[in-house]
Amino acid sequence: MTNNPQQTARVGLFFLLGMALIWVTFETLSGGKLWFKDKGYQLVAGFDSLKELKAGDDVRMAGVKIGDVALTRLAGRRAEAVLRIDSDKRIKADATATIVTQGLIGTGYVSIDLGTDAAPFLPAGGEIRTAATADLNSVMAQLGDLGRKLEGALGGLGTSLNGDSRQPGLLQKVDTILTENRENLSRTTANLQQITDKVNRGEGTLGRLLNDSRLHDELLAGVTELKQGATQARSFLANAEELVAEVKRGRGTLGALVYDQKAADDLKASLASLREVSEQLAQGRGTLGQLLKDDSLVRETRALLKKADRAIDNLDDTGPITAVGVVANGLF
Amino acid sequence: MPNTLSASPASRGTPSVTDRLLTWLPTPVFQVLHGTGSTLLLLGRTLRHVPSLPRQFGRFIEQCHLIGYTTMPIVGILSFFIGSVLALQSGHAGENVGYKQFIGALVGLTMARELGPVMAAVLLAGRVGSAIAAELASMKVYQEVDALETMNIPPERMLVLPRLAAVLTMMPVLTIMADLVGWFGGAIVSKYTHFISIEPASYFANLRQYMDFSDVLNGLIKAEVFGVTVVLVCCNIGLNTRGGPREIGASVTRAVVTSLILILVLDFFVTKALM
Amino acid sequence: MPAANSTSPLPGAAPAVGVTVESLSKRFGTFEVLRGVSFAVQPGEIFVLMGPSGSGKSVLLKHLVGLESPSAGQTTVAGLDASDPTTRERVRMALVFQAGALFNSLSVYDNLALYPREHRLGDEAAIRDRVMRALQILSLENAAHKFPAELSGGMKKRVAIARALVMEPQLLLYDEPTSELDPVMSATITEIIATLRQRYQVTSIVVSHDRDLALAIADRIGILMGGELIFLGPSADLRNPTDPRVADFLNPRIDLEHPRFKHLET
Repeated sequence: MTNNPQQTARVGLFFLLGMALIWVTFETLSGGKLWFKDKGYQLVAGFDSLKELKAGDDVRMAGVKIGDVALTRLAGRRAEAVLRIDSDKRIKADATATIVTQGLIGTGYVSIDLGTDAAPFLPAGGEIRTAATADLNSVMAQLGDLGRKLEGALGGLGTSLNGDSRQPGLLQKVDTILTENRENLSRTTANLQQITDKVNRGEGTLGRLLNDSRLHDELLAGVTELKQGATQARSFLANAEELVAEVKRGRGTLGALVYDQKAADDLKASLASLREVSEQLAQGRGTLGQLLKDDSLVRETRALLKKADRAIDNLDDTGPITAVGVVANGLF
Repeated sequence: MPNTLSASPASRGTPSVTDRLLTWLPTPVFQVLHGTGSTLLLLGRTLRHVPSLPRQFGRFIEQCHLIGYTTMPIVGILSFFIGSVLALQSGHAGENVGYKQFIGALVGLTMARELGPVMAAVLLAGRVGSAIAAELASMKVYQEVDALETMNIPPERMLVLPRLAAVLTMMPVLTIMADLVGWFGGAIVSKYTHFISIEPASYFANLRQYMDFSDVLNGLIKAEVFGVTVVLVCCNIGLNTRGGPREIGASVTRAVVTSLILILVLDFFVTKALM
Repeated sequence: MPAANSTSPLPGAAPAVGVTVESLSKRFGTFEVLRGVSFAVQPGEIFVLMGPSGSGKSVLLKHLVGLESPSAGQTTVAGLDASDPTTRERVRMALVFQAGALFNSLSVYDNLALYPREHRLGDEAAIRDRVMRALQILSLENAAHKFPAELSGGMKKRVAIARALVMEPQLLLYDEPTSELDPVMSATITEIIATLRQRYQVTSIVVSHDRDLALAIADRIGILMGGELIFLGPSADLRNPTDPRVADFLNPRIDLEHPRFKHLET
């Protein structure tokens, strides 16, 4: 049995062509390095929390992929991500790594900025500087907390008045208390007025949020407590109006309230905590305060806070400011 | 009907517990076991003749020609359209979700890791496997295999070994061509379909970003496993044909169906093993 | 056999071998094809095994070359167990199949050259000599480059015999060598079998139901019927058989008045 020489040549050509294609594919996909990836060098990045970061996620510098997360681990009281960086990519010692969460699919990557020219390069195995970024979940949690605080404060205030609303003589006591606390009340009112002004002028986050009409269609879930606070305030307002009406109609006696020292104390404490909250807001302390001052949070919290402004609207229109105003107007 | 396929001299005496158990197995189960066993034994007998491969060089080249060269056109046509359809389908489905820009990686990975090797193997079973089964079954029925044995020429050496060596040599070539043609098919469809409209440059950039040679290598290994399986199964079924010429057709059908089933079953396990 | 080497078509032919069959039985499932068959064939002898179709002649032949293994009993070739696959490596046995069993994908020349090539018996030139000599013996020189599909039945049988000769067999087995052939071609094949034995002293076992062939060339004859040997002896003993079954087999009467045709009458 002898082979046709042409057949042999065809098989040879075909085989060599196939091998050449495999080689070309190998060169193209793996850059000619023996298979699997460039080993690169490693850097360690420590964070309080790696959030959704996992091994295999990208490491990008100025948006360009320069490596990936080799592994994630717990090291004492912090979480560490070991980053594999391509050998030909050098990183300045003053560059900062942050964890970025990509919106759509929910995957994260480590973003490293360029650093400055003057700084030396980081050695292999070195540790890179990191910065924590506010993440959506903690902002939401803190907002919820704040809402509960407001609710507690307003609820306490409401109860102290409500519980004795049918007792005669309440007017005298209220009058005394309001007189004693006039300074506090006016400071509170002033603070809140200041906030509203800022908001109206479009300053700070809330202002920007309010000016952005697209924000109206977003989530409300995280701020339910805030709304509850507003509702509470509204019911307080209704009570207060009823109270004023009763006082004006001359019903009830003053004596009972004068001798009800406990109710008075409660009312005082409630007003104090309300003032505390509003002062904190004005001075930019606490989460809501930060929100008012920190423009950088806008990007991240935009989606959440789109609905928050509705809650703020409620506060603005029928919130504590107006409630106090109604009481004050009715009395004085 | 009891299972009498394995009427061997050893079973002449009192049947062992295993043999009695085998007799009571449902016939399909018995046939699966019999097929698996005889295929493995054929592989073992064939491997014993590997040192004589250089003497089979002429037959090896002939089989390479049949398995590789003449199978290439149909593999090319099929994988071109498989790649095109992959791009079309994913482009259509991804239009609203916004993963259009990942079409390159999607087509690339699917072709290299799955459809390239599987399609090459399916065509091998249909085109080469059927030919092997028909040829060997006919040689068996017309006593050519018996003649070889009386001439002290083991059929494994002359009939199975060259085919096995040829499929091992040619499967990587067929598979890489299937991969590349499929990729180009996807690229062309991505460019000229109005709702996709992705330039080949960005298609291939995306493909390269998400692919590694290990993905292609993975597919090549799978293809080798499939190729060896198809050739062995078809040789075994062909050589085990009994009866008259009518059985040749039955053997071809059985060989192709068994090959196709095994390709898909093995695909699962090989994929899992290579992960 | 001092003349064996000088007259061999091919150099290095080994002496012919004897064959024994002892109480050979073969069952396929529940069907018993052979039931305790025993005989012996001397080296250089022509033994003709006769019998009606389905009597197990071909199955017996397959046992001798190891294509079947016995259910009971034993067959030996040159004293070696025939069912042992290694026997083939030590004793050169050739079987001329009933339908020829030529390799359809190979030319006549390649059919003959396959054995020496696979066993590396010399270079291409030596193999060519060897093949051409075998073709000459059977007057097939002109068919060397034809393919089996282009050959007539008689040619196929001659090619099959030539292919067997290339092996320089020590034992040559023929399965129905004259079936389906016209009387002239049958006579030619019969002559070839006798000549080959005469010139090369090869042990020959011929399975056939051709009475003329058997009586013409057989040293001894065995008649197999229903899986049993009903006659074993020199061909001369068949001229006046004592067993009515043997007589019936050799000289069947054509009887149109046989009772089995009664029901055909209207």
